[in-house]
Amino acid sequence: MTIEIPKIAYAGKIKEIPLGRGENIITVGGESCCPFHLFEGAMPHPPKIAMEVYDRAPEDWPDTALEPFADVAGDPVAWARKCVDTYGAEMIALQLASTDPNAEDTPADEAAAITKKVSDAVEVPLFVFGSSSVDKDTEVLKAVCEACEGKNLIIGPLAEGNYRAIGATAIGYQHTVMASTPIDINLAKQLNILLGNLNVPDDKIIIDPTTGALGYGLEYCYSVMERIRTAALVQEDERLQFPIIANFAKEVWKTKEVRLSEMEAPLLGDQKKRGILIEAMTAQCVLLAGADILVMRHPEAINLVKESIQDLMIRGES
Amino acid sequence: MSKIICSAAIRGAHKIVGTAETKCEDALKKWGPDQEIGFPNTTYYLPIIYGILGIPVKTLGDAKGVLDKCKKLLPAPVSDKVWLPYLAPALEAGMATFFAEEIIEAIRYLEEPDFYTKGEDPLPDNIWLGAADDVIMRKRGVEFVDGTAPGFAAILGAAPTKEIAVKIAIELQEKNLYVFMCSDHEGKTMSEQLIEAGVQIGWPTRLVSFGPSYTAAVFAMGFATRAAMSFGGIKPGDFAGNLRYNKDRIFAFAMPLGTVTDEWYANAAGAINWGFPTIADTPIPQVLPTGICTYEHVVSNVPHDQIVARAIEVRGLKVAISKVDIPMSYGPAFEGERIRKDDLYFECGGGRTLGVELTISKDMSEVEDGKIEMIGPDLDQIKEGDKLPFAALIEVAGRQMKPGFEPILERQIHHLINYVQGIMHIGQRSIMWIRVGKAAVEKGFLLKHLGKVIHAKYHQDFGNILDKVQIKIYTDEERVKEVLEMAKKLYKQRDERVEGMTDETEETYYSCTLCQSFAPSHVCVITPERTGMCGAYNWLDCEVSYEINPTGPNQPIEKGECIDPVLGQWKGITDFVFKASRQKIEQVSAYSLMNFPMTACGCFECVATILPLCNGIMIVNRNFMGMTPCGMKFTTLAGMVGGGNQTPGFLGVSKHYICSRKFLKAEGGLKRVVWLPKMLKEEIAERMEPICEEMGIPNFPEMIADDTIGTTEEEILPFLEEKGHPALTMDPLM
Repeated sequence: MTIEIPKIAYAGKIKEIPLGRGENIITVGGESCCPFHLFEGAMPHPPKIAMEVYDRAPEDWPDTALEPFADVAGDPVAWARKCVDTYGAEMIALQLASTDPNAEDTPADEAAAITKKVSDAVEVPLFVFGSSSVDKDTEVLKAVCEACEGKNLIIGPLAEGNYRAIGATAIGYQHTVMASTPIDINLAKQLNILLGNLNVPDDKIIIDPTTGALGYGLEYCYSVMERIRTAALVQEDERLQFPIIANFAKEVWKTKEVRLSEMEAPLLGDQKKRGILIEAMTAQCVLLAGADILVMRHPEAINLVKESIQDLMIRGES
Repeated sequence: MSKIICSAAIRGAHKIVGTAETKCEDALKKWGPDQEIGFPNTTYYLPIIYGILGIPVKTLGDAKGVLDKCKKLLPAPVSDKVWLPYLAPALEAGMATFFAEEIIEAIRYLEEPDFYTKGEDPLPDNIWLGAADDVIMRKRGVEFVDGTAPGFAAILGAAPTKEIAVKIAIELQEKNLYVFMCSDHEGKTMSEQLIEAGVQIGWPTRLVSFGPSYTAAVFAMGFATRAAMSFGGIKPGDFAGNLRYNKDRIFAFAMPLGTVTDEWYANAAGAINWGFPTIADTPIPQVLPTGICTYEHVVSNVPHDQIVARAIEVRGLKVAISKVDIPMSYGPAFEGERIRKDDLYFECGGGRTLGVELTISKDMSEVEDGKIEMIGPDLDQIKEGDKLPFAALIEVAGRQMKPGFEPILERQIHHLINYVQGIMHIGQRSIMWIRVGKAAVEKGFLLKHLGKVIHAKYHQDFGNILDKVQIKIYTDEERVKEVLEMAKKLYKQRDERVEGMTDETEETYYSCTLCQSFAPSHVCVITPERTGMCGAYNWLDCEVSYEINPTGPNQPIEKGECIDPVLGQWKGITDFVFKASRQKIEQVSAYSLMNFPMTACGCFECVATILPLCNGIMIVNRNFMGMTPCGMKFTTLAGMVGGGNQTPGFLGVSKHYICSRKFLKAEGGLKRVVWLPKMLKEEIAERMEPICEEMGIPNFPEMIADDTIGTTEEEILPFLEEKGHPALTMDPLM
């Protein structure tokens, strides 16, 4: 007796967004089914991983995270090159963490100059994150847009408080934007509507629904992400039919569980392996919730997730 | 449109296109058709022509082609004898004017390369900046889109004196507007007047001296057209998109100072295409009906001391106030602060003295924005412990303002004043009560600062519906009494208006999906007679919320055809809820507990459920912690009701809805209610009275059992029987 697998016909489809420029464009999105439900629809572009690069040498990372980058920390250009050359990064996510007014408060023009150098050094699509300070990000990301005109960077976070200034500048210099909202489907939709009203083209918007780390409210982030995706596919909610980015590496690597050494917490086991697994598991969860782009840190975690994506993309015989 | 204006504009356009043709012919002879022309350092060519027609003018030959189009666009001069609709021809004449002027200016760049400085600042020997290059446009244009600069004033001519010129310029700067200056009046230019008065001009101060000729007006219009292409994603040649973008987003207007020539008229007519009205200081004819522009098109004879305020009003520009300017801290953190007797410096209202707060709407001409008057002594004129009567009369005006919004604005006063550090505010209307602490007075707090608070916050929070706010604060007994009398009349009218509003009188209801973040399929339907179950949103609140935030959680729903008046079902509502609940809720009744009851989020004030033995309904409020006759406490019931599920027999309701004529109409209304916690019964007693009267059972509240009678059905049933509760003889609920 054959078993008929019940299938859902999805009415909606995620928009395809080209990232980067020229021959190195990578398209994300385009799904017409829930994540990896390849028996129900298509996922023309498997999820991608952007490797993190920081604008300054990180001071608060556990050694287990810093180790692969110890030789390049403090030199974002070399760091980005290493990600691409050594670890085969498909995309780079530049975290302008030092621009945070509560950190070094790096001025906007300096941050823009760093971004420019990184964008000149690598061909892969470049994501640029500010420090999530509404006012400072406005300054920084506007300067970044201007300095990297026409490179189709993916910049964010654009929040309710600064989407107009950054969004308009991004249109002016032809970049893609990440619309960021605090784990709330309605706010996510509203910001997308507002960006549309601002005339940001639909192929220049990525949803950043905010993602926490495993053990730190991930289930809530998962639900919101899943609902955004279901609303887009099943309920044809047009303003949610955008690819989703999950920017969680910075969350994972600051948790207590990855920072405690084996000496301090013998029950938790090998510290390095633990961190890698927590990052990889967080990634795996958000992949299943609908993330199209994962911002990740540890090369070994990335390899695990890449492998998993490959496995999940094999279409079973049905 | 005024025939005089149109005739002049069309005449002016003919002259300007003629001039352009002559210049173009001369230049063609001298340089040939392949000679490159254009504005410096721009990828937008001649931006108006490029933006509107999509034609990149690169050479004199291209310019010639555009001029041929101009001639086709030019309407015939208006005849003295024939009366026709003039608007469309005038607008086309205006458009042809700008195309021709761009060509004139482009040829000027060719023939006199150093006519303009081509920089951000004027030079000692040349103050004319000319067209903004792309670097300036990118830097400044984005400000138009993100709101740092809402728009610009295109000033033609000059003010009568340099002092007036300075005053106008400063007023415009204060509103964050750019001032684009061109042309002259009797040989004088505004730019020169400002320089003479020692004012620094140039892009950095937003006082831009474009050029001495009226044709330099195209630099302003070109700037706006380019901003739409650069930051608005508008494609070259998408003239409708570009013009609409400018109308909707760039708050610009033309301000001719001095004699309006035919050429000026032509430019003004052109600007109307972009939705930019003209505000003139001379007595030219007015064009008041709304059409292309958001409001009026031409407003004239405006005195210089009012011209900026008038321009802002006519263009519909909103005032942005970023900070509440008072000597104390301000914010929600201070809302819950109490001022105790020992800290008290001054108090008013609250039964101690007369006190009243009133917000009313007035005509735009009757309100001067930001005006705060103190009538009677302020805190610096009294001693500690003195008491004064108090009245705050807030007068607002706005293009989108409706009298229905008054009570909603008025209700904000409570929290807005409470946000001030060191001030306590309780109550509203004529039962308001303010206490001012000693610490606040030490910091320099005065009653008139309350006016500043309300002015700033009204603009910040309700800018979409109001344009002007003025405040009068009275501590003079006689005047307070006057305000109080006026207020009492208005309160009565407002109450009657709300009372008179029924579900039948309104065609539009509102949705509330604010809680979908945690109850994804929940959709509240708010009708005039059924407030949101949280008690926080009534129909009027939703109307305002929608005006303020059109993409927000409160959307208007056309109720459409009535499916069942008793259950409270309408086609429009059903369709909306089906969609907004993501296909989860197929039908909803506004007035029923048993048939397709409304879903609930989790924020309801009360839960209503059935008591089968008593054939009635019980309601329990959130604050009641005890057991109820249905065998569940509020918290357990809340779990049954919430989360966006439809559970027949369980319903989230607001306290207000209990005393509505539509309360569970399908089940028989208030008559069905057999049990309420005593605290709830007392709270709503006053509002129950009229309903009970209408039911013909004035003593009905006495028939309702409460927690002092019993908390099980068995305990309350004998009580109901003894009182002869009507529910016992009504149709069975199930």
